[in-house]
Amino acid sequence: MEDIVCSGCALLCNDVSAETSGASINSLGLCKLGHTHLETSFKHKIGNTEKELSKVVEVLTSSDSLLVYGWLHTTNEAIQQGQKIASALKADFATGADMGPLQTMSHPIHSNNLEIDLEYVRNNAEFIIYWGADPSESLHRHASRFAVLPRGKNIPEGIESRTIGVVDVRRTETMKMANHRLILPKGTDAELLKTITGELQGNSMIKDKVLGITASELIGFVKGFKKSDRIVIFYGSGLINSGNLNESLTSMATLVQTLRDAGKEAFALPMFVQSNTMGAINASKEKSVTNTLQRLVSNEFDTVLVVGDDVLAHLPGPAAKAMAKTKIVYIGPPGGLTDKKATIAIHAADTMIASDGSMTRIDMNDIEFKKWKATKSEDSISEVLTKLHELLDKKKV
Amino acid sequence: MKLNPMEIYNLLPKTNCRLCEPKTCMAFATKLALGDISPDDCPPLLETKFEKNLARLREMVAPMHSAEATGIKLDEDKCTGCNNCVVVCPVDASVEPPTCEGKAAMSQNTVFRVENGISKIINLEKCRRFPPDRLNCRVCEQYCCTDAIEIW
Repeated sequence: MEDIVCSGCALLCNDVSAETSGASINSLGLCKLGHTHLETSFKHKIGNTEKELSKVVEVLTSSDSLLVYGWLHTTNEAIQQGQKIASALKADFATGADMGPLQTMSHPIHSNNLEIDLEYVRNNAEFIIYWGADPSESLHRHASRFAVLPRGKNIPEGIESRTIGVVDVRRTETMKMANHRLILPKGTDAELLKTITGELQGNSMIKDKVLGITASELIGFVKGFKKSDRIVIFYGSGLINSGNLNESLTSMATLVQTLRDAGKEAFALPMFVQSNTMGAINASKEKSVTNTLQRLVSNEFDTVLVVGDDVLAHLPGPAAKAMAKTKIVYIGPPGGLTDKKATIAIHAADTMIASDGSMTRIDMNDIEFKKWKATKSEDSISEVLTKLHELLDKKKV
Repeated sequence: MKLNPMEIYNLLPKTNCRLCEPKTCMAFATKLALGDISPDDCPPLLETKFEKNLARLREMVAPMHSAEATGIKLDEDKCTGCNNCVVVCPVDASVEPPTCEGKAAMSQNTVFRVENGISKIINLEKCRRFPPDRLNCRVCEQYCCTDAIEIW
């Protein structure tokens, strides 16, 4: 068994190992999502890219309005290479993080030092709240590796030393581990956050049911905040996509500030699922166009270079339809709708197999990939992009 | 499926005759639901008038005997390999301490280890429920979010 890094989700687990045995692969510690991802990536057959690359150069250089897009499953190095290509071709650069995550990270909540390392959570967090986030479905090892169950420096008993709260619009599997389970109507996150903040500030606001939650349940939840000295809120797509993002995040920032004013350590972290959402966000902050979807829908682009992401499978309908009408050049692992629809597709090994470069975990820590026996570095997305950049240079674009 | 002590209690003589070790019918029902005793340990139940009840109770506890020695059943189809069982298992914490800090189990000494994306019981005999100790530890079942682990 060799140590590897998993790129199956944004946790980028680096305490796992794998080995190849003929055509099959065995792993230790990888969750079902990670193992399936590794197994699929290992079976991919990558052909020779040289001939196709010259065709790509033709298509890209003949475009009048090019968008360079995708990136959520590529390394930070590939993203940098993509930005260079976009700049050389005078194209617009954008990432799949534009749909929600980028707006979230641009909110003032993230200028208040509300984020913290996941190791801090493991070592210190006494009260953990999953708000609109269900890690047992999307980030399988979040609770066991960093948040709910592990023991830490100031958490000697693990789960026994912590209180867990889950707030969601439905009953979730994560609720099984929780002490407080609150189910609220969709889009009412801000209202509940304001009620909790009001109660903590001493304005007794909870007299009867609030948003269908009984007074005793809610008062118990508020007591959890009062009793704990170190509080971490993980908010996920349930809050981000509730249609009321700005108000919800502002209310969450107020709640955290109220807790801090009461002398507590309090933090709020986003829960993004795609493996390098944070890397894409970091790259997007400076050089990205943010209204990509609107521009796609209004048919502003004639060609789209999609890298390392099956964007057609998860873009909103009108944007996906508009993109499908353009010339799509796809660079990434084989399979998926974007690969199928592409005018030209260049297949490259998935990052987990290519094992070069780094990705950024959801707590903004860079995780380096480790080379192992199955590594096929010559086929990585980064390598393909480097070759493409060289060809463009030769052509003196 | 777990046994309900109240359902068992309703099939017992309910006389609190104190002829069995748990002394009361309710305590007997609880122990029977956990698999710690057998229906045959209740002397009045062996009388003819309780024949049907005894047969029903034997039928109810029969699946427990088909379960493994600890009574743990792990449904691999439901398991997501989240490692919750590895991290909370007290035996895993003692034989491979990094597991209690959230790390994946790598040695061959733990009770649970996640292999190929699914949790496996690799050392059943080390489980605290295993005879002769038979401690009533249910922590893996308690924190298994997908209900893949069930204890009879």
